[in-house]
Amino acid sequence: MTTMDAAAPALAPASKQRPSIEIRPSKGWAGLNLREIWRSRELLYFIVLRELKIRYKQAVIGVGWAIIQPLLAALIFTVIFGMFAKMPTGGIPYPLFAYAAILPWTFFAEAVRRASVGLVSDAELIRKVYFPRLIVPLAMVTAPLADFAAGLIVLLGMFFWYGVTPTPYIVLLPVFMAVAYALALSIGLWLGPLSVRYRDVMHTLPFLIQIWLYASPVAYPSTIVPERWRLIYSLNPMVGVVEGFRWALLGTPQPDFRAMGISVVVIAVALATGLAYFRKMERSFADVI
Amino acid sequence: MPTSSDEFAIRAEGLGKQYKIFGGSSGADTMVDVMAKSAKAIATLGRSRPKKQSFWALKDVSFDIRQGENVGVLGLNGAGKSTLLKVLSRITDPTTGRARINGRMGSLLEVGTGFHAELTGRENIFLYGAILGMGRAEIARKFDAIVDFAEIGEFINTPVKRYSSGMYVRLAFSVAAHLEPDILLLDEVLAVGDITFQRKCLDFAKDLQRRDATILFVSHNMFSIKSMCDRVIYLRQGQVQFDGPTAKGIEIYEADCRLASVSWAKAAGITNPDETPIVITDVALLDEAGEPASVYEHGQRLRLRLDYEVRGPVDDPNFILAFVRSDGVSCCCYNTKMDGVQISTRPGAGRLELVTPPLSLISELYKIEILVRERGFGKLVCGQLGGSFHVSHPLLDMHFGVFHEPGVWTQGEQRAAARPQNIGAVA
Repeated sequence: MTTMDAAAPALAPASKQRPSIEIRPSKGWAGLNLREIWRSRELLYFIVLRELKIRYKQAVIGVGWAIIQPLLAALIFTVIFGMFAKMPTGGIPYPLFAYAAILPWTFFAEAVRRASVGLVSDAELIRKVYFPRLIVPLAMVTAPLADFAAGLIVLLGMFFWYGVTPTPYIVLLPVFMAVAYALALSIGLWLGPLSVRYRDVMHTLPFLIQIWLYASPVAYPSTIVPERWRLIYSLNPMVGVVEGFRWALLGTPQPDFRAMGISVVVIAVALATGLAYFRKMERSFADVI
Repeated sequence: MPTSSDEFAIRAEGLGKQYKIFGGSSGADTMVDVMAKSAKAIATLGRSRPKKQSFWALKDVSFDIRQGENVGVLGLNGAGKSTLLKVLSRITDPTTGRARINGRMGSLLEVGTGFHAELTGRENIFLYGAILGMGRAEIARKFDAIVDFAEIGEFINTPVKRYSSGMYVRLAFSVAAHLEPDILLLDEVLAVGDITFQRKCLDFAKDLQRRDATILFVSHNMFSIKSMCDRVIYLRQGQVQFDGPTAKGIEIYEADCRLASVSWAKAAGITNPDETPIVITDVALLDEAGEPASVYEHGQRLRLRLDYEVRGPVDDPNFILAFVRSDGVSCCCYNTKMDGVQISTRPGAGRLELVTPPLSLISELYKIEILVRERGFGKLVCGQLGGSFHVSHPLLDMHFGVFHEPGVWTQGEQRAAARPQNIGAVA
């Protein structure tokens, strides 16, 4: 036990101020306890790191997959929607047109998927150890940001290849990403606890994401949507995100900021209620997962 | 005795935990089930509601544990020990009551659940350390000590899926041990691992004890409870049955243990352990001379007296007495069938007595399982616990295996060594 003895001096100051915890039944809506989340930020960091490391381990191409996947999607779209269907892109090379939208979309789809099933894949951990459960959806939405960053580098290459310069509005990209992030998180906060109780969520999710993809202007410009449906169509927050990306990067017509304003309010409500719902459900995760 | 607020480590007030059982299905309901149930509920609206079964795994549990106290938690299987630890470690919330914890809590409930197989030992130390509640700087500071303690050496950069199970457990345990908790929840039953690992757990707990940490200790091993704790809390059906000095608590517990149904009886097909065709009504552990005993010298004979009742139809019963070591290894068993004893199946009371050969088991704690099977080793018709006993010997512990018997040796003629200059090196 020499190692334990060696660590002894460090123990003394730590034990001066002992944390005190109150354990009570979860009745009604529990408080947010953001302080605890903040204290666990290093756990968040390590779980995000875990997600990044395990994703491409024991794969020959490794991190290359983060780049290849959206590129392949762009290639398929280029063949089908660019070459066969001849989607109008306003003079922008179709691969660039598609890729600028696939980038935020891939992030969003991946973040929603992982945030929704993350609790279930960490079931063992939840059954055996206490930690603030909110860390899981947060980490699951955060981890795909790394893939997004890798995809951005490819985008720069494409700009160079096609000789296109992005508009100055590129500085607004983080705003659109923030909208996508908040949207993915709010969905995860609702679907995560639901999938703990009902595994059906995991089976339904791929279809939902697929439908959502076609309800967003990823493969096509939103101008092909009939005028009278345009406002309803724009209430899909991902319409604003995708159009925003194209606008900031490629100078396409600007997104409907009015509709985007509405969806930001909707996301804020979904996020707030999602947080409350998650806090209410998390106390029983260990019993039902 | 009232304690001031900063003196207690754990204060539980009326803790209760209710579990709902949904119509016997195994928890993982699907939405279809729920929709079907809702439809049924609507159809039968106002008449009979589908009954939701529930039970209290813990009920009105209150206690104060002072800082530095070591308390054993006793109880039969399903008495609520694990639920209590789960509630106190915040894995699950209580249904009623409240508890206050003063101090950093660490738990050795299941070591290594935070590990990820694909990550290296180094990566897992940081990940698992963070899960247990350590900060990055703290883990970095303790990193070398953790690696040393785990005896992992150069494997630190190898994915843990390539580790032997021993290395895996050692590393996980080492991380948990370096959390340096003020309060430790230790479940020896769940802390899986071989006996050397369990020893390490105990050594670690004792080390904490010397540092004035508070320990809540769940074990089925009365020996370790006695050596660790001066106080025990005995749970029966989720309620505190006894809270006080260890010796007294163990006495009550052991009285309850006697003749209780073996934990695996249901899995072996006994649906109602209270209504088996044969019931053991009394058991007595005696020495060779017939005096009550609980500790036997290695080499002594053990005499076991059984009183039983035949209460239902049973076909050619075979009485089996199994000695199960504290780590769950079934070491030996004696049975009437192979020893050529015929048991009467006529309803009524009977008595059996077994005298074992001189005990060759190593020094340990053994519990006795009394089993009755039909036609040799067929269907189980009775499975009860028959108490426990110690075998004592100054030398023979688990390093010697399960039992020790003297061997017969012969020695050949001593020949001179071929290269005398090497003798020093060999010795």
